[in-house]
Amino acid sequence: MADEPAAVLIDGVSVTYAASDKTAVGPVDLVIRPGERWLLLGASGSGKSSLLNALTGLIPHAIAAKRSGEVRLLGEDVAARTPAEWSSTVARLFQKAEQTLCGMTVADEIAFALENQALPVAEIATRTETVMGSLGLPPEWRDRRTSRLSGGERQLVAIAAIMAQDAPILVADEPTAHLAPEAARRLERRLRDVPPDGAALVVDHRLDDLIPLIDRVAVLGDDGRIVVTGCPRKVFRDHGQTLDRLGIWRPIGSRLADRLMALGHEADPQPLTLAEALQAMDRLPLTLLDRARATLVDFIAPRIAQAGAIGATVAQLQNASCAPLFAKPVLQKVTLSIAAGEVVAILGANGAGKSTLAASLAGLLRLKAGRRDGAMGGISFQNPDSKFIAGSVGEELAAALEAAGAKAEAADVAALAERWRLVTLLERHPMQLSEGQKRRLSLALLMAGDRFPLIVLDEPTGGLDAAGTEALMDEVDRLRDGERAVAIVTHDMDFALATAPRWIIVGEGRILADGPASELMRDGALMKRAGLAPPHLLQALDWLEKEPVPAC
Amino acid sequence: MLKTVHPLPKLIVALVWLAGSIAVFDASFQIVMILTCVTVLILLERLSPVLVLALMVPFALFGAGFITTSVLFRQESEFAVQMAQETPFGDGRLQAGIVLFLRAIACGMVSAVFVLTTDPGSFVKALMVNWRLSPRVGYALFAALQLVPDLASELQQMRLARAMRRGAPPRRIPGPIEVGSLVVPLIAYAIRRAGDTALAMESRGLGASSQRTVIGAPVSSKRDAIFCLAASAWLLSIYWLTSQAPL
Repeated sequence: MADEPAAVLIDGVSVTYAASDKTAVGPVDLVIRPGERWLLLGASGSGKSSLLNALTGLIPHAIAAKRSGEVRLLGEDVAARTPAEWSSTVARLFQKAEQTLCGMTVADEIAFALENQALPVAEIATRTETVMGSLGLPPEWRDRRTSRLSGGERQLVAIAAIMAQDAPILVADEPTAHLAPEAARRLERRLRDVPPDGAALVVDHRLDDLIPLIDRVAVLGDDGRIVVTGCPRKVFRDHGQTLDRLGIWRPIGSRLADRLMALGHEADPQPLTLAEALQAMDRLPLTLLDRARATLVDFIAPRIAQAGAIGATVAQLQNASCAPLFAKPVLQKVTLSIAAGEVVAILGANGAGKSTLAASLAGLLRLKAGRRDGAMGGISFQNPDSKFIAGSVGEELAAALEAAGAKAEAADVAALAERWRLVTLLERHPMQLSEGQKRRLSLALLMAGDRFPLIVLDEPTGGLDAAGTEALMDEVDRLRDGERAVAIVTHDMDFALATAPRWIIVGEGRILADGPASELMRDGALMKRAGLAPPHLLQALDWLEKEPVPAC
Repeated sequence: MLKTVHPLPKLIVALVWLAGSIAVFDASFQIVMILTCVTVLILLERLSPVLVLALMVPFALFGAGFITTSVLFRQESEFAVQMAQETPFGDGRLQAGIVLFLRAIACGMVSAVFVLTTDPGSFVKALMVNWRLSPRVGYALFAALQLVPDLASELQQMRLARAMRRGAPPRRIPGPIEVGSLVVPLIAYAIRRAGDTALAMESRGLGASSQRTVIGAPVSSKRDAIFCLAASAWLLSIYWLTSQAPL
């Protein structure tokens, strides 16, 4: 076994883009053994995607950047083949579905890599059917163009295309970012089925559901170098503070375990998931149980949004038919309102019509029927790119402040940049930013000058690291306290619970439910019907409600 | 209905019709060609008459340039003036301009019929299977064909973003200033999109092997032969009828 080559060997690899004299990532050393599943963590802009591009040879073959060091896949130098020739060995899921898909119909997208491998027609048909079935893609999607699908649906098709490829090494960049919880769980199978001679390397900012499947974690620091590697339980236990300092995600179970450790109880093994942490609490001696319950209450409190004072109605839809531009209505008979000081989460399966509802609520889409009243809202689009018009981040921020009628002096721009951790990026062109940095810029532009009484955030956490997500949560609180109305479209149920006391659940072409989060998240039938899963924190709430059974 | 016809016979028919439109310098011939295309799109393909009229606008604007050039700048060819002398549109210069104007619309509408009734994916597959087009070239062509609807979609997204900055919903039809301000961002998007597609195709193995399976390529049938014969017969009929009684 000792002579078996590493599935992926990264030896002193660093990447420098042609337009920059600064190293984007590296030097990095990683050895991924056959059969291992790795999670690569790092703050936005730390160079994770660049490292993945170097790993499959896209850098320097297809992307203008210089790579130094050595990459070997299953023992072979990556430079020995073109990226296309590696496709039978490496399946690569890019951060944005548009980067994985080629714009064909769903069936053609899934079959594309298999056609390139010259597989027999019958085998391609079988694999396509199997993958569509396992990911729950409806057969009527087969002939639908991927550009006609919603962002989340496209992500599902991209995953299907990668799964069909059946390559031994999987490299996935934020695979769950735009997936509804039910859809994200279907990824589990692909990760579980890593072949003995293959490997998986996943980059993600939030992976609570899949973290038990991960064998090893590597953390990239802000300088693009590895800070720590190891098994997840050890990394999250021993380096939790480092991760927090770097603004990097860690599992909720690990965070709760830290609190328990502060009580003098160290769970063994170190919990990763909330369920494991709660099981550890079940084993606590009676002397510690009350303090542990109080600790859990403290832990939960900031993670559940509380309804505050609500003002006048800011916008309302009455009997509205909501449709994307130049398309048929996807939601009918929508009646809802949102008031000043209110934060609402719009939830539903991929393709349910959440983004259309959000844009209609903001007044950006004309209704096919019904009526909208209220002021125009501002919206943060799922894809931030279309919002950028200036030549640098600083110019974008200044233009946004001016548009809002606010002062746009250098000090004002600097203050706004500081708020969104963009200070070091002011001279950069917006398109040179990482996806997480683009997201922060997009949110900063929207909120500059506080000009909108209604703010709609469409998948705002996509690409954001933990620090970015926390800053966003603070910003939502600030908006609520400033009597703004906020609507958040998200698949992150814990983020929804932490920010929005009211949930609107969309599905079957209409609003399925509109009510307090505390009630809706406990309605299992509704969650299932809408393709959702309850927030992880519900397990903790349930634990608090049950009768304590002291350990012997 | 034309969507079920094999793309390659349909392409040949379209090229023959385009050649006919270029070769026959007669206003009535061009008018009947335009009417034929409009009828096909409205009656057979069930497109809205408004949409079909809207499709003709850019070709008409392009064709209008020929009229002004012919009348004002006398840039017409001697042949065109000679051919147009016998028509009832006034002097030869105007007549030549009008025929050229109609020809621009006719050529545009023939192309529109082909594009609107042909799936780009099927077209590229047919080229690769039947005419041995290289997959790299074929998929580059495919990506270029698909870019048009993607650009339209991105355009709408940009318009929504700008509308939000203005604080008003976007106008149904963008004004010239708005269109002008969107050109550069759209070109930038097109370049990014092309780059993304190239990376996606590369990382999924396009060109890795000289052998390649093509699934779902269109298959020829008797229907295609009937279509070719009918389209050619109708073209000849138009020519014969209009040459008997030219405008």
